[in-house]
Amino acid sequence: MSMKKSVKSLFSAVEQFFFAEEAPYGLALVRMCLPVVALIPMCRRFFRVRELYSADGCPQQLAELFGDGRLLPELPGELAAGLYGVMLFALLCGVFGFRTRLSFLTGAALYIYFNMLDAIGTMTKYSVIAAHVLVILAISDCGAVWSVDAVLKRRASRGGMAALPVRVPVWPARLIQILFAAIYFGSAITKVQTPEFFSGEQMRYWLVSNWNWPNPIGEMMALSPPVLMSSSYITVVWEVTFPFLVWRRLGRFAALGLGVVFHLMTIFSLGLWIFPFICTMCYLAFLNEGDIAAIRVLLGRLRLAWLGHPRVLAATLFERRPVMVPLAGIWVAAGLVVAVGSVEADYRLDVYGIRGNGAPLALPAMDTAEARQMINSQQPLREKDKFFSFDIGSMVMAGQLANRRQQFEAGDVVIAQCNLNPPHEDLWVECVIQDEEDRVIDVAGQFVTRDQLFAKFSYMTADKLVPGRYWVVLKSSGQEVSRRPFELMGDGLPEASSGGVLAN
Amino acid sequence: MEGWCCMKLRRWGAGLLIGSYLLLLSWGIVGHALKIPSAGNTLGYFVVWDMFCGWQAFDNRTHFIAEDSAGNYYRVREPWGAFQPFGHVDRVNYDVSNNLAPRHIRNVLTHTDHPPIDRVYVVQEIWPKQFNVPDRLWSSYFHEPKDQQSYFNLRAICAADGTLIESNPDWYVAQGLKSIADNPRLRTQAQGASPFYNTFFNPRMAVETNSSFSSSDGGLSN
Repeated sequence: MSMKKSVKSLFSAVEQFFFAEEAPYGLALVRMCLPVVALIPMCRRFFRVRELYSADGCPQQLAELFGDGRLLPELPGELAAGLYGVMLFALLCGVFGFRTRLSFLTGAALYIYFNMLDAIGTMTKYSVIAAHVLVILAISDCGAVWSVDAVLKRRASRGGMAALPVRVPVWPARLIQILFAAIYFGSAITKVQTPEFFSGEQMRYWLVSNWNWPNPIGEMMALSPPVLMSSSYITVVWEVTFPFLVWRRLGRFAALGLGVVFHLMTIFSLGLWIFPFICTMCYLAFLNEGDIAAIRVLLGRLRLAWLGHPRVLAATLFERRPVMVPLAGIWVAAGLVVAVGSVEADYRLDVYGIRGNGAPLALPAMDTAEARQMINSQQPLREKDKFFSFDIGSMVMAGQLANRRQQFEAGDVVIAQCNLNPPHEDLWVECVIQDEEDRVIDVAGQFVTRDQLFAKFSYMTADKLVPGRYWVVLKSSGQEVSRRPFELMGDGLPEASSGGVLAN
Repeated sequence: MEGWCCMKLRRWGAGLLIGSYLLLLSWGIVGHALKIPSAGNTLGYFVVWDMFCGWQAFDNRTHFIAEDSAGNYYRVREPWGAFQPFGHVDRVNYDVSNNLAPRHIRNVLTHTDHPPIDRVYVVQEIWPKQFNVPDRLWSSYFHEPKDQQSYFNLRAICAADGTLIESNPDWYVAQGLKSIADNPRLRTQAQGASPFYNTFFNPRMAVETNSSFSSSDGGLSN
């Protein structure tokens, strides 16, 4: 009996979770913000539709990368340009909530189509996230509030019950929330499967890659292993706990707050601009009626009522249409005008410069010596290019050198670490202690196998050294790769220990 | 009554949709976690969250060099300006698996003026990523002079229509292979045990022709 009761209570909790009714303010905010962000990169690509998405260019379909062939039709340039314009138009209509469902159904389908056509320069994981959310918006009632549709509906019902905010089941917002829980949990699994993420190597190399926009803070972080290692653990803990916190009253502030900080940090550390805003805009789906009421009170003094004027104005205009013209007809007619305009724009843009130049542009010539050098080059990797860095310090964190020092007290242990650039062969690496006159004091060597990403040497200064200036020299295959100076401080001769002088 | 039925139907429809969506997301997570190949396809890309799964210590750019019959060389780069999708790097460089190369060659050569092209060389340029660090950071962190050197690797040779004529290993793979082949013991063993296709003995053919293995030549034939 008790089992039956608990099952029933579980079902009712699940039902309450998905089918409780609320005014869809959170979804309406996602509807207004997400497409705007998703449209930024798509608008940039409007000038290259023919090149990126048409049979007259060089699209690379996502399905081809997975060996599934060309699943999607590649249209002639004019048609692709027209459809691309319709996509922009539909998503923009979605933002204002004009024929919301039709707009998102059309916009989402075309957004996914164009993204899948160019897997190299358009499709990324942020477009996947945006695609999910656009589809969810298409099947939701996100246009029920704060939209042209809502204003028209309210006026059509002449004030009656429609004057109250519409209340609808919350499951579309829940799907967006669950999507984000899955995204973070899944990316935590990816990180767990990458040991180099926790030891800092993966992030270091990402941070010094110039594949995205400038990332000055990331470049500085890349040279600080403790920051990399600690932030990697914090990230994974946050990602794993996100699904368990985000639906709790207080936990959600921590989960979402950390999420906003994390995504904003990726702007400065990785040079990502669209990804963080796509994600943070989707966080608006976590806002419930209570949050919106609280925000309204907070923003009450800012006089933001003008924000609603465009939709009211648009609704007033649409109301003046002839009675026999349906709203969907206006949408289709406007879409057609945009499509024709896009075809015209494609023609005038003349992406390949053939009409503007009167003939195809000339292929740039190349210096013969330079071309032959590039084609025939067989240069082996320099010894020093097998190493990322070489440092000395005194503190170890997670098995790696955590600080950099050039001054040590007599008796301290000097820890030297070299970081290697994979792929490298098995190496014999030596660490040499020299005095100011380059006289060798001690030498230690070790094999560094091809799977190793760093190697450490520890040197006990108490054994031989007197206060003074020294060098730690890194050698690989007998060649000097790098050297670091250090100064041993102190007054007199320290007591010598009986142990080995150099240890790996 | 009709309205009640309609509401129930909507509720069931929504439930079905929610269930399917949750199953799809779970399939992506489980498939990715357990590395099940069925999650590694076009649909899987939409439900697998493998952001930043790979990394490399060397940066690379791809160069396309066309050669005409007179031995002149041309850079196969869009004279109308290459599209840079995510920063300041040309689109073609984001193609890590070199899938785009044939279409890129065909597109540029089709829309440009040039003498007949004999072949197009696809060359990888590689350099260690530490040289991407700006000069001011380099001087404060690294003590050595910043003498960046690029390495080049002939990745492929294509015809003017983009058709692949010759393909070589990626620089990263080549480095790995070189380091393994550097082992004399392995080299000797590999030389002594070269894989080959047996053209003399084919069990299936033997069964088909003789209907049993007890044939006179035992499946061996010339």
